[in-house]
Amino acid sequence: MRSSPQRPWSKGLPSDQRTCLVAAIILIAVACMCGVLVFGAGGQLWGSLTSVFRPEEPTSSAAWPADSAALTVAVSPGMAPTFQELAGQFNRQEQRTPDGQTMQVQPLALTPEKMVEQSLATPSFQALAPDSSLWLNQLERRWTALQGTAAGEEALLPIGDRRVSNPVRYATSPIVIAAWESVARELGWPERPIGWQEVQRKATQDPNFKWNHPSTGHASGLLATLAEFYAGAGLTRGLTPEAATNPQTLEYVKAVESTVRFYGEGEDVIVARLAAEGRNFLDAFVAQEQVVLAWNRSSQGERLVAIYPAEGTLWADHPLALLELGGPGETAVTDNQRRTFQAFAQFLTSADVQRQLLAAGYRPADLSVSLDGAGSPFVDTDAVDARQPYTTLQVPSAAVVEVVQNVWWYTKRPTNVILVVDTSGSMEGVKIERTQEALRAFVSHIRGEQDQVGLVEFATSLKRFEQLQPMNDQNRAALIEQIDGMQADGRTALIDALFEAYKYLQANGDTEAINAIVAMTDGQENQSAYGFSDLEQYMAEEQAVTVVVFTVAFGSDADESLLQNVARAGNGQFRRADETDIEELYKIISTYF
Amino acid sequence: MNRTRWIFVGILLVALVIVGASLVWRAVSNRGSTPEGLTVERPAAVTVRVLTSLPVEPWVRSAAEAFNQSDPVVDGVPVQVEIVAMDGLTALGRWDRNDFGALAADVQPEDLSEAERAALKDFPTAWLPDSRYLVELANASYKERLGRDVFLTDGEYRARSVVISLFTWGIYESRANVLKAHFGEVTWRTIHDAAIAKGGWPELGGDPAWGYFKLVVPNPAKNAGGLTAMIAAAGEYYGRTDVGVEDVTNPEFQAWLGELMGSVTDFSSASAYTAEDFALFGYSVGDGGQLLESDLLQNMQGILTRWADPLVLYYPRYVTWFDFPFTVWMGPETSALEKNAALAFERFLLSEPQQQAALAYGLRPANPDVAVDAGPDSLFVKWQARGVEPVVPRADAMRNPDRDVLLALLRWFDLNVVE
Repeated sequence: MRSSPQRPWSKGLPSDQRTCLVAAIILIAVACMCGVLVFGAGGQLWGSLTSVFRPEEPTSSAAWPADSAALTVAVSPGMAPTFQELAGQFNRQEQRTPDGQTMQVQPLALTPEKMVEQSLATPSFQALAPDSSLWLNQLERRWTALQGTAAGEEALLPIGDRRVSNPVRYATSPIVIAAWESVARELGWPERPIGWQEVQRKATQDPNFKWNHPSTGHASGLLATLAEFYAGAGLTRGLTPEAATNPQTLEYVKAVESTVRFYGEGEDVIVARLAAEGRNFLDAFVAQEQVVLAWNRSSQGERLVAIYPAEGTLWADHPLALLELGGPGETAVTDNQRRTFQAFAQFLTSADVQRQLLAAGYRPADLSVSLDGAGSPFVDTDAVDARQPYTTLQVPSAAVVEVVQNVWWYTKRPTNVILVVDTSGSMEGVKIERTQEALRAFVSHIRGEQDQVGLVEFATSLKRFEQLQPMNDQNRAALIEQIDGMQADGRTALIDALFEAYKYLQANGDTEAINAIVAMTDGQENQSAYGFSDLEQYMAEEQAVTVVVFTVAFGSDADESLLQNVARAGNGQFRRADETDIEELYKIISTYF
Repeated sequence: MNRTRWIFVGILLVALVIVGASLVWRAVSNRGSTPEGLTVERPAAVTVRVLTSLPVEPWVRSAAEAFNQSDPVVDGVPVQVEIVAMDGLTALGRWDRNDFGALAADVQPEDLSEAERAALKDFPTAWLPDSRYLVELANASYKERLGRDVFLTDGEYRARSVVISLFTWGIYESRANVLKAHFGEVTWRTIHDAAIAKGGWPELGGDPAWGYFKLVVPNPAKNAGGLTAMIAAAGEYYGRTDVGVEDVTNPEFQAWLGELMGSVTDFSSASAYTAEDFALFGYSVGDGGQLLESDLLQNMQGILTRWADPLVLYYPRYVTWFDFPFTVWMGPETSALEKNAALAFERFLLSEPQQQAALAYGLRPANPDVAVDAGPDSLFVKWQARGVEPVVPRADAMRNPDRDVLLALLRWFDLNVVE
């Protein structure tokens, strides 16, 4: 009989005993495993192991407590005052979450374009209320592109994760061409329909016609530009990237854009300037219908009328939407914040608030609120027409909108801007650092290659005069290097510096471009050879080239009176800034060019 | 018994003692700290979360309020219903991606940690999508993942229609009159011809101020109605009720559909409430479109209040129905008590008072005991002069699309319209 080879550990045991031993070991092992599983030690051990190897999630820069019921809502600047008032009413109700937190809404005024940008990173807000759904669409498109398609490839439906949810419309207003009544009548209002093309033709043929539209960072500015592209391409629908970038289209848009008096922020700023500078500031501008009603209600003198463009317009549809935060490195929107969002959305669409929005000149989202009812601003006026618009332009895809936004930089009127910067001794420390940051931001925001920037650095006298240079990458880097090298010392000779900048732009003689000076100082004029009256006289006499002067008072020691006078003489704007907002202010000013 | 056997019995006893001691130890150590079981222990109250499609959401929410106020009790436990509004297609996408966190096939609730159990607290108890085909698609997705259906098609927990509605043409009267004078009837083909008229409305005999013809179709990625409209158009294009992948990928059909979709003014809409947008922005954004009858009826008053031009309804040759099935989730993520509570709410929705209430939302009752024109609030009575018909004429019902047709259309839309 052939014996099987014996294993060392069982050597010497009879075969039945070996069998028993094997069975016993198996049983004990099974029992031990049962014990381990029952105790849950296995789970704990696995859990501890996996936790050891689980990568740490990056922490968020914008954070709020896990039970927070405070909802920060980014809102378009034009709607911000109304929204602020409504948020105050909501907050005073002191609604509570089931765990006893008080619901609070904090509005944050932000241009829609910036809302989109910030919503893609780690925003400090949990909800947004731009002036148009266009921005939500653009946000979704950019979000999907950021996420990539990997997640969607295995899914049944190509419906990706969304960045926004629960959109609710609370007000609407069509985009119109707001014109003084006399100007509108000259164009043919109210007898016949007036189109974008007629206004554009008027602007290109009549050098005295002054019109404006906001930058493409706002729905009304985007629409006005889109309308130019449609007109240039000879279309009212089906605008493609190819049609938008066709040289003929670009030439047309460029011709129309060259008639725009200045580029800038939103309707709110235009209205503020109208109020400050009066009837002659502009003949017409692109805005929401609500602006016309609000202006006519609050202002004396000639009224504005709304021209609903014959080719069609777009609607500002004021959505309120929740951001779906909670990805890696982001603090998730809390359950309480969701409750606050729901409650606030209900509040905004409630009958009382809808009537308040109507009183403010918006068309309520609640269709049961009639525009013809007693007290409605649409009644007893022909400045607006509740039955219009009759048609709309086709909203192109988000891809085409992005092309239009980008192409605009290359078709808009070229800009020559001289930055006049005070680097006197009083600027030492944080002020000069913040100023350098602001200037760098300004230079970065000048994107068109036809735009030129120069730099005048002054203190006791001129320290540096960098002539205008096109803002291509190389020149931008060189200018930023000059900005980085600025040092604070000496006294303040602002008027002399302004004289030099103004003289230079006149000598440059570029009448096709927007010519502008942006002057900033933190102190009192105490060193110039010239006085303000000399400068004012010179500016009045030398007008071969139109130069607009923006002045910025940095901090509380600046001579605001002088700066206001300079801005007035230069048909520009005076602004205040401090260390916290100087960079933002320069960014805003950059949108004017 | 020899020594070997004694040893064997001894070892067996030792093993049993270890297992027994483990069980005793677990029972003692876990007393008072065990989280509430998902299927065993009786909770103090139960919340039924119903994912509800948008066209029926106002009615279901109102019914849920009435249900909650009646202090309902199921198996001795108080029940409350919570409505989560979500378009059917979006919900399908979320089921498909398993966004709600259904457990894997080999995981049971009792295996979960406390945090993992807490994550299931918002898991939907039931789903009320627009159409049964969405349920079938969700089931197909989970069958691949779990090897079983998660929504049942028969038995007590089967998907059951609670109301129904269909797609009809809704067109502003002034425009409809011009279309009928020019084309004789309103069909997808005549709408297509109006859409491609180069001269716009003046070419068709309409007012130049109206611009070009503007069709209203919901964004198919946001609203199940958008996809339905494309399928209905395909049905009429081919003259049959069953449309396959080869039909929707036919280049000639796609070119035709592209021209049709080219007359839609805006797919960027924030919401999926297309009929509401239609009313809010009036004829400025759309002259007409094939939309859900209930949505059109609900917005009819708003249209009359806001715009000078009323809306008229026309019933198409090929009809697409939405049957709004109430569907209980069958997985272990929700307890038997929650499932039963969901059924109680379903019965409440099907009760005569709630079915009559649905008439005020323009929804057709699923309960055959309730007539479409029953009750003074029925929108089918109120808007008869605007073309609404209690009995649907000439009905050839479109068949539900399969997964591949759905995918092909969505991809076509993404590549040719969105981009």
